[in-house]
Amino acid sequence: MPSTSISLTEQMLRRRPVVGAHAARGAADHLKRSIGTFQLTMFGVGSTVGTGIFFVMSQAVPEAGPGVIVSFLVAGIAAGLAAICYAELASAVPVSGSSYSYAYTTLGEVVAIGVAACLLLEYGVSTAAVSVTWSGYLNKLLSNLFGFQLPHVLSAAPWDSQPGYVNVPAILLIVMCALLLIRGASESARVNAIMVLTKLGVLVMFAILAFTAFDADRLRDFAPFGVAGIGSAAGTIFFSYIGLDAVSTAGDEVKDPQKTMPRAIIAALVIVSTVYLLVALAALGTQPWRDFAAQQEAGLATILDNVTHGRWASTILAAGAVISIFSVTLVTMYGQTRILFAMGRDGLLPSRFATVNSRTMTPVSNTAIVATAAGTLAAFVPLDKLADMVSIGTLTAFIVVSVGVIILRVRQPDLPRAFKVPGYPVTPALSVLACGYILFSLHWYTWIAFSGWISVALIFYFVWGRHHSALNDTQDQPGETQKTL
Amino acid sequence: MTVVAGYRAGEVGLSGLHLAVCVARTLGTSLAVATIVPKPWLIPSLARVDAEYEQWADHLAADSATEAARFLHDLRDGIDVAYLHREHRSVSGGLIEVVEELGGEVLVLGSLPSAGGGVVIGTTADWLLHASPVPVAISPRGYRPHTGKLTRLTCAYAATPDSIEVVRRCSETAQRFGVPLRVMTFAVRGKTMYPPEVGLDVEDQVIEAWASQAREILASLKTDGVVGEDVALEVVTGHDWSEALDKADWRDGEILALGTRPRDEIRRVFLGSRSAKIIRESPVPVLVLPG
Repeated sequence: MPSTSISLTEQMLRRRPVVGAHAARGAADHLKRSIGTFQLTMFGVGSTVGTGIFFVMSQAVPEAGPGVIVSFLVAGIAAGLAAICYAELASAVPVSGSSYSYAYTTLGEVVAIGVAACLLLEYGVSTAAVSVTWSGYLNKLLSNLFGFQLPHVLSAAPWDSQPGYVNVPAILLIVMCALLLIRGASESARVNAIMVLTKLGVLVMFAILAFTAFDADRLRDFAPFGVAGIGSAAGTIFFSYIGLDAVSTAGDEVKDPQKTMPRAIIAALVIVSTVYLLVALAALGTQPWRDFAAQQEAGLATILDNVTHGRWASTILAAGAVISIFSVTLVTMYGQTRILFAMGRDGLLPSRFATVNSRTMTPVSNTAIVATAAGTLAAFVPLDKLADMVSIGTLTAFIVVSVGVIILRVRQPDLPRAFKVPGYPVTPALSVLACGYILFSLHWYTWIAFSGWISVALIFYFVWGRHHSALNDTQDQPGETQKTL
Repeated sequence: MTVVAGYRAGEVGLSGLHLAVCVARTLGTSLAVATIVPKPWLIPSLARVDAEYEQWADHLAADSATEAARFLHDLRDGIDVAYLHREHRSVSGGLIEVVEELGGEVLVLGSLPSAGGGVVIGTTADWLLHASPVPVAISPRGYRPHTGKLTRLTCAYAATPDSIEVVRRCSETAQRFGVPLRVMTFAVRGKTMYPPEVGLDVEDQVIEAWASQAREILASLKTDGVVGEDVALEVVTGHDWSEALDKADWRDGEILALGTRPRDEIRRVFLGSRSAKIIRESPVPVLVLPG
């Protein structure tokens, strides 16, 4: 076995070389650079809006009261800083892919495994979390349009605050998305633009209608749980900023990245935050903050019912939510399958994850495994637990990326970077601080679950992954490894 | 044994006749140019209202034969050509009848002269691809071979276990034609997902993995003895089918062979969706082998 020739530490710190097609991309780069600021902003808005805003109010307001407005700002700033750090790391590493690939080529195998475990939360668990929220809006839409809905026991998880048996709509949604992915369907740039407009449209409609019933007195008891409550709510809300980092993964196709990248990230952040703050403020003005906790399902639609005393507005909102949550689930689930695919190719997961079905030309067993896992989570685990797991994973990955930017600047100061973080080293340090602050405000049980999950990933690596890593086969060829960053 | 070419004046171009001569010369057999005309009613109709219609059908048969003969006069070059016409309710049914009657070995059709490149299949050809007992060859639009004979047979292989039979049949057909065989697997890259959460070119890795899997399966064709050692094996990928087919390095006089799936209940699934796309984008004639 070739792996015995090197020590465990060497194994853990070895980095994936930049070889072949990926490395050769640089030469033809200027030909392919075609994405401008507007399109990149659309990527950012498209991948961010919809992950959380349709349900996050009912989760976050009970934690912080009207002070949730501040939580939105804190979460937005943390996500924005991290996204800027992402952009530098992505532009410094001549490989394409997620932060797993960046970590593997810059920080070593064991860090890559840690990041991958976090990404499994950011994509896999968030697929489950987002699909859970689908059942509430689907039921709302069905009851508004046809006067019936699925019984509660069939649309809620057993350990929910209002327990049911199983969340059937969530399973249905995940199965539909899996079938589409297996067939090779994908969302085009045009569909993405339509989705962005749909989501923004229904949210702006919500804000306008809700402001008609605005009563400033309802904001009076601004921070009933103090700073701790605001921090804890920021952790929950962070979920709704996930996806902003997607902007950076388009790095090598972007025109003039040094200018376009920060502009698009900031523009997306401003658009998303503005919409979120308007929605939050408008919602808080319609009812006492204590009422939010009871609106677990289809929260925004319920508020509209109370405001308009009619059903048309909540029907439009529910329809918009049903469509856009579908699209978000499809995209995040796709992301998860492709991250596992990359790990399968690197030998850190069984090769089954990197096997492509010859008839459909898509990774079928990979998709089926992701769908089974996400479907099981969505069926039986309540939303708040899932959402906090997603937040903790994403925040940790963001911190690793921000630290990675600093490490790479120290170790490889002359490496060409198409985009450099403005205000280095303050920006990455602030990013670590902001993410760290939110991280430490999360509940203790989230930390325990997270530590458990990371341990499982590392044990799998020590027992299986390090012996099967594709790098074991290239260790004897020093020419290859010299190309590491 | 003969090659049967379906021809009707003014409807399909001459590309089918070019291909028919080419196939007949490769096989060293004769050629029968068949025109199928509508069948008149058996019961005499009142006041002979359909007399003109019958006349038109007769003229169509005669015109087709004359037109084909004029064209083949220069091209036939030693090949025996017979012209015949049949009355039948459907063109496809008529052609199958002629093939069975003459013991035809291959049925040759031309592409419809509509817009677009590659091989264009009309409803007649589509029906024949499912129903013909012998291989059906279809020329691309404007087909003009310069070699006079077929020079190579490329077998489109899906690299799935149940399609090995297609390679066997292609191999036999290549031997019958006396031309070298090439086995080729085509794949297209999946479309980029938006928003690109994991990078815009992640699908490149998927298609790369697929191509290396396909190369292994192709190599196993030789080790399993399905094809001989001298057979060329290739995997071609592209962003879409047209790019993949373009990349495949075609010779003059090459023909692309595909297998139909074993007979299913539903007619439309005889040709897989992938085969249908390959046929549409093919720059060379296609030969569809019966299931």
